[in-house]
Amino acid sequence: MSLPAGFTATDRAGEPLLEVTDLVKHFPVRGGKVFRHTIGEVHAVCGVSFSIGTGETLGLVGESGCGKSTTARSILQLVEPTSGSVRFEGKELTTLSPSEMRGVRRELQVVFQDPYASLDPKIPVGETIAEPLKVHGMWRGNDGNQRVAEVLRQVGLSPSHAGRFPNEFSGGQRQRIGIARALIMEPHLLVLDEPVSALDVSIQAGVVNLLEDLQEQLGLAYLFVAHDLSVVRHISDRVAVMYLGKIVEMGSRQQIYGQPAHPYTQALLSAVPVPDPRIERERKRIVLPGDVPSPIDPPSGCRFRTRCWKAQDICVTQEPRLDPFDEHHTVACHFAAADREVLSFSPTRRGSSD
Amino acid sequence: MKPSHSKFAQDPHAPLLSIEGLEVSFRTAEGTVNAVRGISLDLQPGEVLGIVGESGSGKSVTAMATMGLLPRSASVRGSVRFRGEELLHRNERQLMPFRGKAISMIFQDPMTSLNPVYSVGWQIVEAILAHQDLSKEEALKIAIELLRKVGIPNPEDRVGNYPHEFSGGMRQRVVIAIAIANNPEVILADEPTTALDVTVQAQVLEALRAALSSTHAALLLITHDLGVIAGIANRVLVMYAGRPVEIGTVDEIFYDPSMPYTLGLLGSLPRVDTDGTERLRPIPGSPPSMIGEPVGCPFAPRCPLAADICRESEPPLRSVGSVDTGHLAACHFAEDARIRGASLFAATSSDIDATRGAGGVAPPESGLSFGHGPDEARAPGPGNYVIAEGFSPAGPGGYETAPDAQETSGDPVLPPDETEIP
Ligand SMILES: Nc1ncnc2c1ncn2[C@@H]1O[C@H](COP(=O)(O)OP(=O)(O)OP(=O)(O)O)[C@@H](O)[C@H]1O
Ligand SMILES: Nc1ncnc2c1ncn2[C@@H]1O[C@H](COP(=O)(O)OP(=O)(O)O)[C@@H](O)[C@H]1O
Ligand code: SF4
Ligand code: SF4
Ligand SMILES: [Mg+2]
Ligand SMILES: [Mg+2]
Repeated sequence: MSLPAGFTATDRAGEPLLEVTDLVKHFPVRGGKVFRHTIGEVHAVCGVSFSIGTGETLGLVGESGCGKSTTARSILQLVEPTSGSVRFEGKELTTLSPSEMRGVRRELQVVFQDPYASLDPKIPVGETIAEPLKVHGMWRGNDGNQRVAEVLRQVGLSPSHAGRFPNEFSGGQRQRIGIARALIMEPHLLVLDEPVSALDVSIQAGVVNLLEDLQEQLGLAYLFVAHDLSVVRHISDRVAVMYLGKIVEMGSRQQIYGQPAHPYTQALLSAVPVPDPRIERERKRIVLPGDVPSPIDPPSGCRFRTRCWKAQDICVTQEPRLDPFDEHHTVACHFAAADREVLSFSPTRRGSSD
Repeated sequence: MKPSHSKFAQDPHAPLLSIEGLEVSFRTAEGTVNAVRGISLDLQPGEVLGIVGESGSGKSVTAMATMGLLPRSASVRGSVRFRGEELLHRNERQLMPFRGKAISMIFQDPMTSLNPVYSVGWQIVEAILAHQDLSKEEALKIAIELLRKVGIPNPEDRVGNYPHEFSGGMRQRVVIAIAIANNPEVILADEPTTALDVTVQAQVLEALRAALSSTHAALLLITHDLGVIAGIANRVLVMYAGRPVEIGTVDEIFYDPSMPYTLGLLGSLPRVDTDGTERLRPIPGSPPSMIGEPVGCPFAPRCPLAADICRESEPPLRSVGSVDTGHLAACHFAEDARIRGASLFAATSSDIDATRGAGGVAPPESGLSFGHGPDEARAPGPGNYVIAEGFSPAGPGGYETAPDAQETSGDPVLPPDETEIP
């Protein structure tokens, strides 16, 4: 949060905390009426590269099915990448054995969207939170209990909650418990996959604030996966925008939201409703035609060309590379051009201080 | 093609849709769930009224009651009138002339309204023929035009497709086409874009706007997305714990909110158009359980302004400000709240329940408990309880990935051949 504009991961240390290079994940599609056989592949993630530095938040945004979760899962080795490299704290993860990977998981934790599904209803939350310590053979009775109490306090809950069951907690509290469980191993990077999407806004705000506080106190880095562009603007230092398995634009928060240069980013931002009636009445919106094409058979050339108002012949034949556009700002478009107007309204103050 | 109003026009001066003192409760094993505790509203012709509120606040139950879609376990009191005619306590047959023609409904999940084994064209044609005396060929022509109106490209070619051949956004546009097929006067939409991506949401909202301008229907739009409301509503009703707590024009609600819950809701939103350096201001705690009758203001356990009187008597809706503009708020201290504005709530990251050391148990004097209502205890996700058979719950959650079954695995459910478009 405190990082200057245009900061990139490698500015701080020689090697970034996490470095993902040319990550590819294809899923086989099975079909056939009688004998099920592979009839194609879902190109879920197609050559994604980015890095995250210590204490930094990278927001990964894009619409449903664009490959955000698959990217996150591939980094965690929860799915096996088809190809590419994932380096975490200097270690290549894609070639680690499961037991070696277990060691890495201490520093690399994950929080998923659904605070309901990710907690076992029959187990007191204190035990769920302590489980990683036990799995790693680090459970020392009293110390362990103290550590559970400490992380409960860190996530804004009371240590007295440890003996309660998940159904005694609200959605926001359950998500805090999920975060506590991730924190207990003192990780350096948290992968957060839609951590606040299931929560009502009034409760979501508290969890967002908590994540910000924890980052400041503990120097955590976040990969923050979300479809909500408002939350991502709020929490990220840098942002990567995905479309059909590829990053189409990446830059600082200020660059992505202030001067987006890829037509898809521009359309995405222009579609986000703003809770401000005067702005909504006046603003112009880019409404994209058609739907996202199937990831089984993505379009040739630029994957966005079927919906892009700027598409030319070259977009059909030649795939645009993710090239530098501005300092630390990369864009994959043959006709990249910054648009500073997409979100520049003069916002009306809300509340009676109007 | 406008329907003759005479059929329903008992009282020409009555509002189009008028809900008065609506109360809905459910008997459950845990006790009586008072889902709607008195809601009154008038919907004028051509108006867009937005209903906002947290999950579980009674939005969907209000819509279901209006359409006569609640399960038998529901007990319903009050009145819902369409052009003066009472809709409550009618049986299915008596509701037939109203459904789809006078009032039509759009749900969050388009598959609630679509049948997977019939082509989309057939389903629109069926809806048209239910209320209009036309040949199948004529109805099919209208169906194609409706698909065009809601933004389905090449509708001539797509009309014979089955729902599984359409994306989520396209299915919702088909549902809108069906909803406007008989030129309804009222459209009730319950979280119609909540499950959709933003660019698809923009398309669907566009379709909805086109539908409104071609039918001049009034829209009752239920959503938890204040951005969507800001863009489409004329008036807004804010629900909390089964009751309206504030109602006003869209500008009054957004620029002059006067009930602490509304203030909290607006203050807790991150905005896409401002750089995210300002801390968010969450509302502490969580919404109350709807079991039993609350004593006092149901927002009191979360309200920074709560005083003794708040825990003793529930405030009624009262006019805000000195001039009666129709802007109403239910708060003993609405004027204070209005002056305090967004700063009423602290930019905290902790959880009020925890700081009290009592996870989810409200102070006994309030008669409420929050954080572990029966719906939460029972259900897999927020707002995920079971409503009438055939209707899926419309909570705000549900953005998770669910890899598209049609695209990624197995044989698509092939509809029988005889369901060809007529
Ligand atoms: N196990 C799997 N088998 C086959 N296909 C899969 C699998 N997991 C994901 N996919 C497909 O890969 C693509 C990317 O999915 P992914 O879950 O990464 O999307 P996402 O960006 O996280 O979307 P959402 O916003 O909906 O969570 C989708 O087309 C999806 O259907
Ligand atoms: N069929 C039912 N049986 C019992 N409780 C129900 C039923 N339907 C809804 N409820 C309860 O009524 C309350 C209001 O629900 P609803 O109107 O669906 O909320 P929302 O504002 O999220 O749409 C919730 O507490 C919910 O659990
Ligand atoms: S490369 Fe062409 S099709 Fe792709 S985004 Fe740029 S202009 Fe549009
Ligand atoms: S009545 Fe009291 S508790 Fe309720 S909102 Fe107003 S000030 Fe808060
Ligand atoms: Mg996902
Ligand atoms: Mg609902």
